[in-house]
Formats: sequence, C-alpha cells, structure tokens
Amino acid sequence: MNDSAYNRVLTASRALKELADRPLKFMEVCGTHTVSIYRSGLRTLFPSNVSLVSGPGCPVCVTAQDEIDTVVRLAGMEKVAIATYGDMIRVPGSSLSLAQARALGASIHVVLSAAGALDLARRLPDMTVIFAGVGFETTAPATAAVVLEANRYGQDNFLVLNFHKTVPVVLETLAMDPALALDGFLLPGHVSTILGLSPYAPLAAEYGLACVVAGFEPEQIMAGLVLLALQNREGHFSVQSAYPQAVRPEGNKRAKALLEAVFEPADAKWRGLGLLPGSGLKFRPPYSHFDARIRLGLVDFPAPEPAGCRCGDVLTGRIHPSECPLFGCPCTPEEPVGPCMVSSEGSCAAVYRYGRSEFR
Amino acid sequence: MTIDGYTVHPLSFPGGNIGKLAVCGTVNDLACRGAKPLYIALGVLAEEGFDEREFLGYLTDASTVCHRLGIRIVTGDTKVLPRGELDRLVLTTCGLGKTLPGRDLGISNLRPGDDLVLTGPVGLHGATIAALRYGLKSEGLASDCAPLWELVKKILPFPGLRAIRDCTRGGLATVLCEWAEGSRLGIEVDESSILVPDTVSSVCDLLGFDPFSLACEGCLIIGVAPGETEALLENLASSEEGRFASRIGSIIPAHPGWVSLLTRSGGRRVLDMPAGEILPRIC
Repeated sequence: MNDSAYNRVLTASRALKELADRPLKFMEVCGTHTVSIYRSGLRTLFPSNVSLVSGPGCPVCVTAQDEIDTVVRLAGMEKVAIATYGDMIRVPGSSLSLAQARALGASIHVVLSAAGALDLARRLPDMTVIFAGVGFETTAPATAAVVLEANRYGQDNFLVLNFHKTVPVVLETLAMDPALALDGFLLPGHVSTILGLSPYAPLAAEYGLACVVAGFEPEQIMAGLVLLALQNREGHFSVQSAYPQAVRPEGNKRAKALLEAVFEPADAKWRGLGLLPGSGLKFRPPYSHFDARIRLGLVDFPAPEPAGCRCGDVLTGRIHPSECPLFGCPCTPEEPVGPCMVSSEGSCAAVYRYGRSEFR
Repeated sequence: MTIDGYTVHPLSFPGGNIGKLAVCGTVNDLACRGAKPLYIALGVLAEEGFDEREFLGYLTDASTVCHRLGIRIVTGDTKVLPRGELDRLVLTTCGLGKTLPGRDLGISNLRPGDDLVLTGPVGLHGATIAALRYGLKSEGLASDCAPLWELVKKILPFPGLRAIRDCTRGGLATVLCEWAEGSRLGIEVDESSILVPDTVSSVCDLLGFDPFSLACEGCLIIGVAPGETEALLENLASSEEGRFASRIGSIIPAHPGWVSLLTRSGGRRVLDMPAGEILPRIC
C-alpha cells in the first residue's frame, strides 16, 4: 500500500467515525473481504460503534457436511480421481478429510480452476475424474464453460460433483433474520462482477438495508463502509458500487449466459442454514450426464456437523468465531474441527491467524 | 553439525535446483549458528530410471557452491529405489562447520530493545515454486536460493550480534513467531519496511497466500543490539545478498511470545505461523 492509500484509509476511518451516529452492524459477505479486513488490521481502525460480522461467502465453509462426506466417499473408489480447489482438501469429513484419504492412497488433485480438472481428465483417460465444484457465481461460470467443452469433445470420463451455490437468495434469508438485525451488507466484489447490481435490489428496497459492493484492498473496504454508514445516516437505502473498476451495473453478460446455458436454479443445502429453495444450481437436462450424482446414482447420507462445531452460526454472522466453544482449543488451523478454521477464507481461520486482539 | 533432507517439486526452478538447494540449505543452517561450513556428506535417493545427465547437472551445481566456499564433499551414499517407490530424487546433506570460540548465536541472546534486520525480499523461493506447481507464468520471478556464509562472515565481528536465522520453510512469519516464543519476549514489526517484490505479491494475490509465510532460501533475519543497527545495515548493503537489508522491527517486553504487525493501512494485527500445507484458495 502506498502513502496515498494509507491516507485514504485514515481519512475513511475518520469519516466513518463522524457518520456512525448510532451503533451500526454490517455483514461482510465475502470470505476474501474477511481475510483482507483481518490481515490489514482494519478492525483496529473502526470506531467502537461500528461492528462487522462475517457472512456466508466462504465457498468451502458453506458446503454441507454430507456433501464433504460424498466427495471423500468417492475418493475411495477404484479408478476415480478427485480434482478440487485447495481449500477443500483439509476440510474434515465425518470420517476422513480428502488430505487423509490422499495419504491412504486416494487420487486427489488440487486444481486452480475447472479447466484444470478437465485437463486432468484428458491426462488420465483410464480414470473417472470427478471435479468437486464448489463456489458461487464466481466459479460456476468456469464450471459451465468446462462442461460445454467436455460435451463438445465427448470427454466422458469427466464428471462434476456440483456443490455450486448462489448468493442473492441466502442474503435475503439473512436479511429476514431478526436475531441478526443487520444495518447493511458489504457485498462481494468478485460475485458482483458476474451478477451486477440488480439481483441485490430487494435487499435495499424490501428489507431497508444499505448495500455496497466493495473491492478488496483495505482502502476500498473502508470506502465501502463509509458508504454503508452514509446510507444509514441518510435513511436512504440502495445498492451502490464502490468498486466501479471491476463491477458493471449489468454484470458480466457472457458469464451470465454461460450460467444460463448450462445450469438452472435448484435448491441447495448450506451448512448452518439447511436447504434453501432456489439457492443452488443444477445441470440442465442436455448436460446432466456430467452430473456425478446422476451418473453414479449417488445419494447424500445425512451427516451431523462435528460435535460442538458452530461453523453454521459463524458463517451466518450469529456468533463471532471466538464465541464457539471449540475455537482455539481444540479447533485450530493445524487441527481444524470445522471448515471455517480450514479455509484460507474462513472467518475462524482469519480470526485465529490475525485477529486475536491482544494488541488493541 | 547439521542435517537436512531436500525434496522439491519441480526439481529445477528459476534461480536453482535441488542440488544447489541441498548445499545452500545446509551451508545456511551452519552459518546461522556462526559456523564456517567445512565438510558435507551427501545422501542420494533416486528413482529407478532417473535421467543420469539431469542427475549430474544437479550434482555439478551442488559442487559449484561447495567449491566457491571451500567446502569439501567428503562422503556420500546413493541408493536407487524401484520405479514408483519414490518421487524422482531426494537429497540429504549433513554439514560440519567450525564456530568461533565463545561466539554463540541463538534465541536466548535476544534482549528487549534489540532491532530486527531482514537481509532481503521475502517469499521469492516459495512464490517461484508455487507459480511452477500451479502453472502460473510470472516473468522475472526466481528463487533467492543462495549460500549465505559469506554474508554472515562479514557481520560476525559485530559484538552486538545476537541471533541469526534463515527464513526457510514457513517464511519470515515462522522465524519471528519462533523467536518470540523461544525468547519469551514480544516482537513488533512494521509491514511497510518488509520488501515484498511485485512478482511475489501477484502470485500471492492469485493463490491467496501470505508472502510472510512463503519460504525464502537466501534471506536472513538478524537480531542486533540497537546501537549497532546502522553500522550493520551499512555492512550488509555492500554485498549482493544483503543489498536490500532493512530494519523491520524490534524485540519488546510487551506481549511476550507474540508478534504484532503494524500493517500498511495503519492497523495492527497478530503475525502468526502458517498451519499445515499451504494450499491455493478458490476465487
């Protein structure tokens, strides 16, 4: 960060103090925001009456326990290779994590994108390569593009375990939660580059919540918070973008067309929230033969979350990570119990690594 | 005496390879105890069918470093394992060095008020390997893999020199945390004084890594009595490996066992050790 960015943070910090004339509680939806806020120590610059709770924007964290178990179960099958994002590897399943399954001989590969998973399928023609696709509107278009390509080239040994979820529905669920009593959402930058601004309109119009899309640099986050406080001060709620460099109001039309071509809305299971109607994506019929659940006749067995783990409450902003009885003992990044302590975007990991506030 | 096993994937990378790494790592372990490296024993585990020319290339690079520093590879052993039982090549180096009489460099020497000096940019080795492993193109990114005995030799005469450590696995964050824990003192570090090359930042931004947790292979953290910091920095600046040296923080009596970081944004946070395998994030 250069000097001008440093000064912008300080200026925004002062503005936030002036604008926050009552206690304000915002939710940062995106896990990348959570990490940036903790890593830059921004919380130490907030006025005491502004609080920020973490939301459900960490893709691994919201993946339901039985979904994790399903991918671990598949990893143990003969002639199966699992391709997935790095964060998924260490999430504890009911019996094993993928990392533990790998140590026992399972074929598990970390990829940076869905395209990496398709490449793997091409390189391993004798294996069935299953891509455990997690993530929101940011990663789902890439999955869609890869499925179209696999379809075009008849890549039959490539399957997708589709855990993709969509953001707007879950935010409406949280907006309705009286226990949370939010004053606004700091909306995700990456997801909004795809979606644009209009899907969030009901949050402002129907629920009277301030909504601001922000970038990920500390000064961009502070600018977003200032706008959230300003909307509350003026009592006029709308969806604003403090990240015009990347987010167009209409979003990314090409990515949205890809989503539309390959997926249709479906119900999805969220850790901590259960089944939310219309909050997920399923393959449209022409592509359903890439759906691992359909091709392999899979059934998700209900799995309880780890005993005592309150990741579900953490990722919905109901409690601070430090309020979980397992936080720090026994649940640590080295020996995680729940996914929020595993993922680099999980709020428990962020608080554990950066936020233990002995120095405030 | 020191011993270390070396495995790296890929075996060759911009700035070095497993042969150079195996010698530099052991040389630097000795140097950080103030010991002049004299002898090395080299153990080789190779997978059946490993290309001989490639193998000799790595040994040549290892011996070049030894030759430059006057180190003799005095003994060694080679075992070939059946194909599939080993990932290509593993090297083990055991180094023997000679310390100066009465010269003790260790965590227990650290005192409140001591300055912390970092000799170079952070994260170069880790980011180079990560970029190769995940197929990212990053022009100009190269490992900082280098022997640091010559650099250490230059500063050993400083009476205020307390402790030296190379920031290898786990990076700067791990060394600072170990020093805070081991000395039962606090450490305060200023983020803006730590040089993170743009190439490292790019890889970290893309993969979600923390540059302070990435391995360096040619960078030292030095604890020094405050009165000697300026002279030490001047001395370091005159050499290739130390030309980016800067004071990054100090040892303090407050919050014993913890490292606090004053961030570039003006905030403050804990600097913690990385946990487990560093894996790329999702988006």
